[in-house]
Amino acid sequence: MRILAIIGLAAALAAWPLAAQHEKDGEKPKNPAIGDPKAIAAGQALFANGCAACHGNEGQGGRGPNLRERVFWHPLEDDTLFTAVKKGVGGGMPAANLPDDQTWQVVAFVRSMTSPAIENPPPGDVKAGEGLFWGKATCGNCHGIAGKGSAFGPDLTNVAAMRPALDIRQSIIDPDADGAPGYHGVTVVMNDGSTLKGVARNRTNYSLQLQDAKGNLHLLSVASIREITTTKGSPMPKDFGTRLSKAEIDNLVAYLGRQSARPAAVKK
Amino acid sequence: MKGEMKGTMRNRLWLGLALAGIAAAQVKYEDILKGPGDNWLTYAGDYQGNRHSPLKQITTANVGSLTPKWAYHVPKASGLRTNPIVYDGVMYVTNTNEMRALDARSGRLIWSFKDSQSKKEGANRGAAILGDRVYFVTADVHLVALDRRTGAVIWQKKYGNVEDGLYASAAPLVLKNLVLVGVAGGDTGMRGYIAALAADTGEEKWRTYTIPTKGEPGSETWGKYIEYGGGGTWLSGTFDPALNLIYWTTGNAWPDFYGENRKGDNLYSSSLLALDPDTGKMKWYFQFTPHDTHDWDAQSWPVLIDAQVQGKMRKLVLHANRNGFFYALDRVTGEYLHSSRLVEKLDWASGIDAKGRPIVLPGTDPTPNGNRTCPGVRGATNWMSPSFNPVTGLMYVVTLEQCDIFTSSSKEPEPKKNFSGGGAGPKPNEIGQFFLRAFDPKTGLKKWEYPMTGPGESWAGTVSTAGNVVFFGDDDGQLVAVDARDGKHLWHFNMGEGLTASPITYAVDGKQYVAIASATAIFSFGLHEPMKSVPVPKTKVE
Repeated sequence: MRILAIIGLAAALAAWPLAAQHEKDGEKPKNPAIGDPKAIAAGQALFANGCAACHGNEGQGGRGPNLRERVFWHPLEDDTLFTAVKKGVGGGMPAANLPDDQTWQVVAFVRSMTSPAIENPPPGDVKAGEGLFWGKATCGNCHGIAGKGSAFGPDLTNVAAMRPALDIRQSIIDPDADGAPGYHGVTVVMNDGSTLKGVARNRTNYSLQLQDAKGNLHLLSVASIREITTTKGSPMPKDFGTRLSKAEIDNLVAYLGRQSARPAAVKK
Repeated sequence: MKGEMKGTMRNRLWLGLALAGIAAAQVKYEDILKGPGDNWLTYAGDYQGNRHSPLKQITTANVGSLTPKWAYHVPKASGLRTNPIVYDGVMYVTNTNEMRALDARSGRLIWSFKDSQSKKEGANRGAAILGDRVYFVTADVHLVALDRRTGAVIWQKKYGNVEDGLYASAAPLVLKNLVLVGVAGGDTGMRGYIAALAADTGEEKWRTYTIPTKGEPGSETWGKYIEYGGGGTWLSGTFDPALNLIYWTTGNAWPDFYGENRKGDNLYSSSLLALDPDTGKMKWYFQFTPHDTHDWDAQSWPVLIDAQVQGKMRKLVLHANRNGFFYALDRVTGEYLHSSRLVEKLDWASGIDAKGRPIVLPGTDPTPNGNRTCPGVRGATNWMSPSFNPVTGLMYVVTLEQCDIFTSSSKEPEPKKNFSGGGAGPKPNEIGQFFLRAFDPKTGLKKWEYPMTGPGESWAGTVSTAGNVVFFGDDDGQLVAVDARDGKHLWHFNMGEGLTASPITYAVDGKQYVAIASATAIFSFGLHEPMKSVPVPKTKVE
């Protein structure tokens, strides 16, 4: 029955009309909660109390569907999400029975899980996050923003336009969660005995596109390589989840959640 | 737990590697001045718009053994118009709001950047490179600077508003310490311009409009709607370093097909502008099609060569124009020297007068019921790239023999509402035919032609090589090689879909390649070599 209910919910959501993910030029969101860091934080608390039991604390799913997999439900209009939260979805999801303002807060949080962070600025102390990034957390030793920092790891100048805040948080705590494509560490011994070390931006049995610590590219034919050693995932340290406090990670995410190559289309 | 600690230590060692610092390779302005060789650094390969490479590993004798070396399918692409550039074994290609770096030897993706926040989508014609940066424009008129090695965003600057009817598609032109960009959108009411942004910071240094404002010189050649007069700058320009002049073409006047509201020449639409690249100040202009009512933008590449004309050595700018004529001007002064017919199907003008003005025949304007005129709305040629071979002395131009029925509408123009004052298209039983034609720029005379079959839908251009091979995309979706001297067919390859871009050539590790974008993919070709077995190296995963 539960499976049927979930399928029913997925089908119902999938059948709703697709709507543009972003507002049209100059159009404001229908409710001020959308994109408001305070509302998102309040919505997260409400979500933790009422929705997480089925959907998981971070929308990762459980008894209910994974809300971060965009296949079934994203993109949806805010109004549609509001109705789903407020009144429930027939066959499985109960009504939240929250006042309208709190329902909008939940919608703001749900939307922030799959929309670019820049449109849903995550809560936290941005200034403190900036200090951490370039200081204690040493992020700038591997990452760059707007030409500052290192060219070794993924550039984060536009990260908030590309990824939801929850994904950014996940990458800090578990850098390999997304498989770290294009960023597996690699050391090669060439046929002449020389070695090169860096990340494999791409690799096949026939060619290797290696980027070294200085950011320089080495476009190699595998025929000229004697030995390849790769890391399972990213060379990024895996212990930020314990090295940094929750508040520090919040602040880092708040800082990174505002990194966009262009100004946000919707922001508070 | 031990294993985790070991992993963390190992990652700290990687951190030490990252701390080694950044060193950037540099593409110097002087490198671009030298023109193409192994690298292909600008849209046209050189500043002169010749699209001619000194590479000659591929020749008329061996091009028959050219084989595909790799293909890269650009995700979600359709109608790719990108002209690849190549530096140090890396190829940079663009699509709507995105750029990708490919290993030019293997076609493997190195990095990609997409501006997912762009307010608009649209074709993109290519990238530019300077220093350690590559540049491209987004459809919603931003210039983006990326680290050429990593794709990291250095900066992104808005230089126009989509709300003003603008969008952007052209490859930027880099010269000195400037990035020059244009704007598209002249078919719906806008005001075109060329802007120069600082290559290091993106700060706008100058902007030159292609249509004057009311009261400025040239505004007397307009009636109503001058503020939406068009003159889009759809393509980038060419550059003469010695004269310190850039040559930039402009698009049609708006509304495209109805000219009653804009009686006059409509300066500086459908023109060639010669500008000082340091200030944007106009030195001279030449208008090919005064008061255009057929959407005949001047959108084809101004080609700069030096040649003897009428017994005198001249610095020429050549222009194969959409209006059906092939022009030679003095590029120092803009003086008209001579012209000839690009196509046989040309019935709107009897010729060009001594000052370069077309002698327009009566009854050739669009009408409410439709008026058949030649060339058609796409013109005798368009933005498909021509090329010039200094050895043969010939310019190679893809031309279209077609007539269209042009209609006009006297409806009150509505800027930015997709209103063009009429329309145009061929009769179903009168589809056009493409030809690759070789012209002698000294006289304008046609030396040979290569007829194509196909549906009359090609937008592909040419590249010329010192191996005396001209490569071009044909109207059947094939990359074709012909002898530069006589147009004899030498080789072809079916790309499997219509072509909307022009080929280039480059070399890596001493091997010459020819590359072109099909509608959805990048293809690269080289001379056939038997493949050697690649042993799988000893591989460890830590």
